[in-house]
Amino acid sequence: MTRLQLIAIRLALLALVLGAWEVLPRNGLIDPLLLPPLGDVLKTLVELLGRPQVHEAIAVTAAEVIVAFIIAVPLGAAIGVAIAESDYLGQIFKPLLFYVFSVPKSIFLPMFILIMGIGFQQKVAYAAFSTLFVVIMSATAAVESVKADHVLVARSYGATRMQILTRVYVPSMMPILLETLRISMIFNFTGVMIAEMYASRTGIGHLISNWGENFQLPQLFAGVILLAAVAITFNETVRTLEHRVSAWRT
Amino acid sequence: MTANLSVVRDAPARAAIEVADLSHTYAGREGPVPALTDISMTVGAGRFVVIVGPSGCGKTSLLMMMAGLRHQTAGTIHIQGAPIDAPDPHRVGVVFQEASLFPWLSALDNIEFPLALRHAPREERRARANDMLNLVGLQGFGARYPHELSGGMKQRVSIARGLVQDPPVLLMDEPFAALDEQTRMTMGHELLRIWSQTAKTVVFVTHSLTEAVYLADEVLVMSARPGRIIDRIAVPLPRPRTYEMMATDVFGRLRERIWQQIRKEG
Repeated sequence: MTRLQLIAIRLALLALVLGAWEVLPRNGLIDPLLLPPLGDVLKTLVELLGRPQVHEAIAVTAAEVIVAFIIAVPLGAAIGVAIAESDYLGQIFKPLLFYVFSVPKSIFLPMFILIMGIGFQQKVAYAAFSTLFVVIMSATAAVESVKADHVLVARSYGATRMQILTRVYVPSMMPILLETLRISMIFNFTGVMIAEMYASRTGIGHLISNWGENFQLPQLFAGVILLAAVAITFNETVRTLEHRVSAWRT
Repeated sequence: MTANLSVVRDAPARAAIEVADLSHTYAGREGPVPALTDISMTVGAGRFVVIVGPSGCGKTSLLMMMAGLRHQTAGTIHIQGAPIDAPDPHRVGVVFQEASLFPWLSALDNIEFPLALRHAPREERRARANDMLNLVGLQGFGARYPHELSGGMKQRVSIARGLVQDPPVLLMDEPFAALDEQTRMTMGHELLRIWSQTAKTVVFVTHSLTEAVYLADEVLVMSARPGRIIDRIAVPLPRPRTYEMMATDVFGRLRERIWQQIRKEG
């Protein structure tokens, strides 16, 4: 199959799903109260994007996502590198981290609310917490992907510690680091959404949860489309970068 | 093309490599383990010396010590008349076993790597790396990445990288071990051509006895651990070496003599 054919088939599939979304509810084959036609949803989306209340919610959610990301990624990366580089720390913390990693983070959400209330801080803290472990794990894997042979080669040509870091460690780790960025954003975004939907007075998650409870399905689906578009855009941007720097990994 | 590469050195009065009373012991689970004992060897400038020995005899360790990458517990190593205790790319180039190229750099960038470390000007780096690429017979392959090169080509790039700073000494740690037999013979032959054009002093570690006799001026045979040098065999075959020499009695007898030594150790 050529690349063009593949793209054509994917687009056809997408058109089919979107077409069904538009046609089936209009014909009454699906209850339009449960699945409003796509056209109505898009109209609602445009209308929502004009409302100041929605602007504010988007700004709050975006701020929470960005701050949590800025906290979780460098912190997790630093811990991950420390654990991978030090046998001592690794032996102590690795098993513990694996245990915590396996536990669903959402069960800790009520504790965050008890300690921090339901404001901005709590959203950021919970999202950072739910992202941290996957960053630690990936950063450890990134360091372990550096080949001892490559470090030896660099040393044999007189590389300084700094040169070994910038010319061997960084390029070796780059593909996994970018992958980490991508995956941690998925966890991070999910964390903020869960926290907003569970207990909040503002944010997109809060709006979506309200629309659901009030049976406002066009608004609910408009919110879903908006968030999906943002998430997919971020993911694909980083993935393109990833491809570019990891062409050698074959 | 390669005339400027074969730097003619004034024949040095002393040897290029001198190892004296070298021993090495490392800390094992049940106390110290002797790895190398009483190694003394001298390699004259421009000579090609091959070290063979059973697996785990410490021949790679010995080579790493000559490269300044590991420290022996006793004894001294002099390279070009001065002791070596840290890597010195101006005196020693190292060619490692397979897969030591950086996969994220093109062939040319891999060859330039040692020059980039000391911030050589970009044009000089390029020119020098291109000369090396030609020397190892890879004209036109500079833009390729390691995963786009065959095993033999990768080792040609490794050799070019080892030579790019024009060090008088080249240390080679089983560079052709991962290649198929045919490529291996071709690469051995190529290495001799490059060696004769550049006049380097080479120490070459290998498992292959045929390769050892084919390449060497002198073969050093090491014992099983703790490694000692148990035999030094001069190879009187004329240069340039040819594949036909492998079928001669002299070649067979030398190979047999080394094999007998190593078998006793196994």
